[in-house]
Amino acid sequence: MDNPSPVRPILVALGSEAQSLRLIHAGFRLARERAAPWIGVYVDRGQGSATEDAEQVQVWMQEAQRLGAEVRTVEAPTLAQGLADLTRRTHAQALVMGRSRDRWPWARLGHSTADELQRRGLDAELVVMDDPGARAEPGAPTMAFGALAGTFLVLATATGLAWLVPAEGNLALVLPVYLLGVTLIAHHWGAALGILASVLSVLLYNLLLETPRFHEAASRWPNLLFFLLMLLAAQLMIGLLRRLRAQAREVQRRELHTASLYLLGRALARSLSPDEVAATAAEHLRRVFKARAWLLFPEGEAWKVRPEAPGEHLDEPLPPPSELLPRLVVGADAGDPLEPLPVGPAFCLSLLSTDQSEGVLRILPRDGEPLQPSSWELLKAFAVQIALALERLRWLEEARRAQLDHETERLRSTLLGAIGHDLRTPLAAIHGAASSLLLPGDLPGAAQRDLLTMIQEESERLAHLLGNLLDLTRLESGTIQVHKEWQPLEEVIGSALGRLERHSGVLPVRVDLPEDLPSAPFDAALIEQVLINLLSNAKAHAPGQDVDLRAWAEPDWLHLEVADRGPGIPEESLERVFDKFFRLPGAGDGGVGLGLAICRAILQAHGGRIHASNRLGGGSVFGLALPLEGTPPPGLVPEEAR
Amino acid sequence: MNQPLILIIEDEEALRRFLVPTLSGQGYQVLCAATATEGLAMARSHNPDLVLLDLGLPDLDGMAVLADLRGWSQKPVVILSARNQERHKIQALDQGADDYLAKPFGAGELLARIRVALRHRLPADAPEPVLHSGSLQVDLARREVHQDGQLVKLTILEYRLVEALARRNGKVATHTQLLTEVWGPGGKGNTHYLRIYMAMLRKKLEADPTRPRHFMTEPNVGYRLELDGTH
Repeated sequence: MDNPSPVRPILVALGSEAQSLRLIHAGFRLARERAAPWIGVYVDRGQGSATEDAEQVQVWMQEAQRLGAEVRTVEAPTLAQGLADLTRRTHAQALVMGRSRDRWPWARLGHSTADELQRRGLDAELVVMDDPGARAEPGAPTMAFGALAGTFLVLATATGLAWLVPAEGNLALVLPVYLLGVTLIAHHWGAALGILASVLSVLLYNLLLETPRFHEAASRWPNLLFFLLMLLAAQLMIGLLRRLRAQAREVQRRELHTASLYLLGRALARSLSPDEVAATAAEHLRRVFKARAWLLFPEGEAWKVRPEAPGEHLDEPLPPPSELLPRLVVGADAGDPLEPLPVGPAFCLSLLSTDQSEGVLRILPRDGEPLQPSSWELLKAFAVQIALALERLRWLEEARRAQLDHETERLRSTLLGAIGHDLRTPLAAIHGAASSLLLPGDLPGAAQRDLLTMIQEESERLAHLLGNLLDLTRLESGTIQVHKEWQPLEEVIGSALGRLERHSGVLPVRVDLPEDLPSAPFDAALIEQVLINLLSNAKAHAPGQDVDLRAWAEPDWLHLEVADRGPGIPEESLERVFDKFFRLPGAGDGGVGLGLAICRAILQAHGGRIHASNRLGGGSVFGLALPLEGTPPPGLVPEEAR
Repeated sequence: MNQPLILIIEDEEALRRFLVPTLSGQGYQVLCAATATEGLAMARSHNPDLVLLDLGLPDLDGMAVLADLRGWSQKPVVILSARNQERHKIQALDQGADDYLAKPFGAGELLARIRVALRHRLPADAPEPVLHSGSLQVDLARREVHQDGQLVKLTILEYRLVEALARRNGKVATHTQLLTEVWGPGGKGNTHYLRIYMAMLRKKLEADPTRPRHFMTEPNVGYRLELDGTH
């Protein structure tokens, strides 16, 4: 017994018919109104359900799931029993089902699944939805042996009934009996058998009249007239039935079309790339038209075919885009450009969106299952949906590119500005110093040294700036490979400090690392760069002041903090300090505003984070977080001391 | 008195113009080649004591030049690498280059690296010397390590690591080289072992493990034992 949930669920009985979509929506609405969970259920009746299209059932189940339903498949000999069992087990408050779930005529005479369920006295509200298209049997009846036998049986019964008519009675009573029989036959086994039956009944009737029992009465009823009347009535009846059936089928077909278009539209709306659109379209086309389909995108003189099927090539070489596209624009028989154009065994449809062709849809019917012209209308609707989905993606891409262009343009102008100033200044100094060293006449030794020192310092600054620019470009373009290895943080802190202190002597950096700090996966050279940038910043903004470097671990993250006692960062700039070329106003002529941008790029490349904040009591704090992803390498077996 | 002969294989003229006077000023004999082909020809005809090799040459990959040189000479090779050649740098070291210099570099750094590289790699049969790195002493003959005159107890693997670094005489040793020398051919790729042992060594031998003075890290490349008299 399933656990009863606090709110009793709503059951929706699903099958393979298009009507199921309406049931799903009704169930969804009901569930939302009552704030109840809902369950989509399919009753698998084993052999009895051979006519159900399992794949289609799957589609409806998925759709129900997408709308928040739980889905279940129940095995039971009959629909009523399966539904009743599940209703009891889940304590469902309501059961939504369609009347078309009953395919037998007696179902309409008080024996429908709904009636059956009602008789079983379920403690659930029964919501039965009518399906206008469901009264007709699916597909045209065929001249099977069973049908033929049935025809004879009905006629024999009719003859038997006619025999029961009292001999002295009116022969007029016999006529409706046969008429009823013929109508039944036409309804159940089709027009052809209907005509056969009407001819047979005339013959039978004639036989009847030959018998002595009716001999007397026969003289009063001319045979020919009866024959004609009989045929006429049967034909009328058959025509009516045929029209009714055609109408019903049309309604059903339309509902199926609407449902499949709806599903396609929803699936396409979720596609994020032309490849996904192609895959979705191919899947839906295969299901609805039982045909294979591809999207073709012109690429110069060749076609890019999606979805790609490895090992599967197009059966027929396609004409190149320059040939096929104009033909599609003109359309088949110089008609509608949306009309499918037969190309070899397949059909091609132009995917026309609002302003251009997005590509070509190629659909290849399976052998022996040609594409019915009646389904072309739906195929065209599919093509339009696909074209619109492709167009949407194209616009999105264009918007993204425009944004990128804008960003690049902005960066370029900032870069030009920065280069204008930051590259020229040291260059001017170097050039000036060198030329004055080359002037004729002797400079005092001390002045010479001064100039030379300046040349060295300024060129170092240039090299630093160019190095930073190069690093940032490579980081952002992704050409730098992050070489992650599990390693202790201690080592990289050591190498960063070593490198800094080689230049500027011992720095007042207090390092506070817990003994049990775990290793983390990172690129040592890149994280060293981050530390060098942060520590040099601290040194530049808070010269001579203590800098605190601490680290700690959480289950999934390794945290590192560099805190100084400098002037801090204005609240509104805490985010912007990581922007390229951003410099705090009045921060002197330190760098060019790339150091922190590089730090952020490096952390991002690691899947980590960096943020700035102000420190209690003055100063700024830069916090890094590195993800502890993956499995650390195994530890070591302790080794005996020598 | 025969001064060491240094062959510079570098295609950028500006760099050659800086290197030649700097090195001759220090008393070295200097030869210059602007292409790999020319450089290899000169190396064969003059058999230089040291080669300064730029990795980005126009006619031939620096790696190919190194392979050719190593085919017939064990003389030291120092790589000059640009910023975007980290991969190649490690590869070159693993394939027998002795050291590297990342551009841009100063004259002081260059001369220090050349001095280190010109010291011979200690041959196995030579009398085992005692090496000094500040307060640290590595006695290769007695297989002992002293800190401030005190014997420090090391495990076998720890000592092997110290020894492998010491035998390079101040030159950089790559992760792969250290792993094969300390753990044997099976050690390749287990860089984390190396890191753990290095951390343990530093805890024993460095005053402040976060600011090593003897066992220096070359990020993503390897380690170097800083010996006295190189700077």
